[in-house]
Amino acid sequence: MKFVFFHLMPYPYLPDDFDENHPSPSLTFPSKYFDRQAGNRLYHRYLDELEYAETVGFDGIAVNEHHQSAYGLMPSPNIMAAALARRTERAKIMVLGNAIGVRGNPLRVAEEIAMLDHLSNGRVVSGFVRGIGWEYFAHSINPTRSRERFNEAHDLIIKAWTSDEPFQWVSPNYEYRYVNLWPRTVQEPHPPIYIPGAGSSETMKFVAEHGYTYMSVYAPTSVVRRWFDGYRQAADELQVEADPEKIAFSVPIYVADTDEAAHREGRRHVEWLFHRGLKQSFAQVYPPGYMSPGSMRGLLLSGMKPYTETSYEELLEGGYVVVGSPDSVAARLQQLQQQLGFGQLNGLFSIGDISHEETKRSMELFSSKVMPALRPLGTAQNTVAGS
Amino acid sequence: MTEAAIDVGADTNGSPHEEFLEFPGGRVHLLRGGAGKPVLFLHAAGGAGQWHEFHALLAQQFEVIAPDHPGFGGSDELADVEGIDDLVFHYLDLIERLGLERPHVVGASFGGWIAAELAVARPDVIGSLVLLGPAGLRLPDHPVTDLFLLTPEQVVDVLFQDPAKASVLFPAAAPSVDDILAAYRDMTALARFAWFPFVSDPKLERRLHRIAAPTLVACPADDKVIPVAHGKRYAELIPDARYEELGGCGHAMYFERPEAFAQITADFLAARTASAAEPSGASR
Repeated sequence: MKFVFFHLMPYPYLPDDFDENHPSPSLTFPSKYFDRQAGNRLYHRYLDELEYAETVGFDGIAVNEHHQSAYGLMPSPNIMAAALARRTERAKIMVLGNAIGVRGNPLRVAEEIAMLDHLSNGRVVSGFVRGIGWEYFAHSINPTRSRERFNEAHDLIIKAWTSDEPFQWVSPNYEYRYVNLWPRTVQEPHPPIYIPGAGSSETMKFVAEHGYTYMSVYAPTSVVRRWFDGYRQAADELQVEADPEKIAFSVPIYVADTDEAAHREGRRHVEWLFHRGLKQSFAQVYPPGYMSPGSMRGLLLSGMKPYTETSYEELLEGGYVVVGSPDSVAARLQQLQQQLGFGQLNGLFSIGDISHEETKRSMELFSSKVMPALRPLGTAQNTVAGS
Repeated sequence: MTEAAIDVGADTNGSPHEEFLEFPGGRVHLLRGGAGKPVLFLHAAGGAGQWHEFHALLAQQFEVIAPDHPGFGGSDELADVEGIDDLVFHYLDLIERLGLERPHVVGASFGGWIAAELAVARPDVIGSLVLLGPAGLRLPDHPVTDLFLLTPEQVVDVLFQDPAKASVLFPAAAPSVDDILAAYRDMTALARFAWFPFVSDPKLERRLHRIAAPTLVACPADDKVIPVAHGKRYAELIPDARYEELGGCGHAMYFERPEAFAQITADFLAARTASAAEPSGASR
C-alpha cells in the first residue's frame, strides 16, 4: 500500500449566515469573505501540513486545482507543488491534477510540470482532470467541448514531453506551429500520470490502455467498487496487468485517540466538507454538455443523493469517509481494501474547518498506528478478493 | 432540390405536418402547417419540436415552417454545425432545400439572433424579418441573464412575468428522467453556440446595416433575460426597422402571450406581403 496525503486547502471561515443565504461556496460566493490575513496564514499552515506529511512517512503529498471557490484555494496547483519541491526530499509531489479541460494553454502545463520535475529531482506525478463544472463558468470555457479539449490537451502534452524534435500541433481546439519543449522532464519518458474516474467506461479504458493510475472521487463504496471493477475489467480485456498500486482510493480520514473523541470532533469537519464545501447546484456541477447523454442518464438513475443531503451517519456507513480510533480506522480501511482492491490510499486529513492541531494529531496517529497495519496490503504480490 | 424530405405527419384540423430533412451528419426535424406566403420560424432556446398556439395562430394566414435547430428537439446534432456562422449556412441550405423563395423569417430570442445573422449574410434571400426579443448582441452594460446557471425554479421566475403561465413551457410538475435528459440536450445544443462569446456575436452590431428586409423588432416589456436595450439597439442599427414593446409579458413571449405575439407578427408580415404585391405561396 502506498499512502498519499492529499490537500484541498479549503477556506473554512464562512459567514454565520452561509447556510441560509449562500447557495454555494463556489463561483458566486463573494471574495469579500476572504479575509486577507487569515487567508495568508492558511496557505502557510497548509503547506506546513504537506511538508509534515513527508516527515511522518507518507509516500506522496498531493495538491489539486480549483477556481473561484472557498472549497479549495489552489487555482494553480503547480505553484503549490513548486513551493513544496525544494522543501521536501523523498515524497512524490503529486499534482492531482491540472484541469487541462479548463486551461487555455495546455502547452503551459507541459512546461510547468517539466520544470517541477527538475525542482523536485524527478518526484513529480502529473494528474490530469477535466475541472469541475463551475470552473467552465469561471473561465468561460465551453463545457460542450470539455471532453475533446481534455483529450487533445492530453495528447499534446504527452507528445510535447516525448518528442525529441520540434513539431507542429493542429487539432480542433489547439494549434501550435512550434512545439519544442525546454526543459525536458527528468523522468523518462515522462512523469507518471493519474486520472480520476467517476464511472465513464471510456475513461477506464483510456487509463488502462496507457498504464496510468485510476483514482476515485468521493462516492459510496458500492459505486467506487463498480468503477474499480470496470477499470480492472478494461485492463483484463486489453491484457494489461491492473497493478493494485495503480488504483487509488480517495477518502477523507480522521483519527483521534478514541472512537468517541474522533466522532465528537470529526463530525463537524466532515459536515463542513460535504454540506458546505460541496454545496453546489446541479447547474453548477453539470453545465450543458459536460456530461455525455449516457453518463447523465446513468447519474440520474443512480439515485445518488447530493452530498448536502447525505448525513454524517450515511457518509460513514457509505464509505465516503473514515473516522475513528486508530484500531477502528485500520479495521475499516482493511475492510474497504478487501472490497475495493486498491493499492494506493489518497487520504484527506485536513478536512473542512479542522484545526492545524487536530490535523497533525490525526496524521501522527494514522502514521504510527494505521499505516503499519495497511502497508502489506494491495501490492502486486498480495492481491485481494476485489480483483 | 433533392427530395430528402420524408413526410411522416398528417394534416387534419390545421395540425402540422412533421418532416425530416437529411443533412450531412444527421437529419433535421421540422413542423409545417397552414397555407400562404411561407414563414420560416426560428425557435428560442426552449420549445423546440412543438407546435404551440403561437404557431397555429400564424398558420391561419401563412405557411409556417418551423425546423428544430441542430441538436435541439427532434433534430440530430450536426457535428459540422458548431458555431453561429455554421448555423447561417445551415439555414441557407435549408431554405434552398425547401425551395423557399424569399420567405419571411421570424426568430425569437436565440432564433432571433440566427435570423439577424441570416439577414446580414444574405439580405437578398429573405422577405421580411421579425425579431422577437432577439439575442445576439454583446452589450456589456445590459447583460443577458445566465440561464445556464439557474435552478429550474429560477428559470421560471426570470422567463415569465406571470409564473402561473409557466406550465405551457414546463408541463410536468415532477419531470421524468427523459424530460430532464431532453432539457439537458437542448441546453447543450444552445451552449455549443452560445457559451462563449456569451449568446452573442461581437461583430454583429457593425454588420446590421446590411439588412435590407423590412424589419420589426418586438420585445416583451418585462424581459428579465434579455434587457429590451438589445431589441432597441437592433432597431436602431437595422435600416428603417420598427420597434414595438408588448406589456405584461416576460422573455417567454410566445409562451406567455401567444395571441399578442402572433398578432403583431402576422399584422406586420401581412402588410409587407400585400405591399410587396407578390403572389402568395410562390414556392409551392
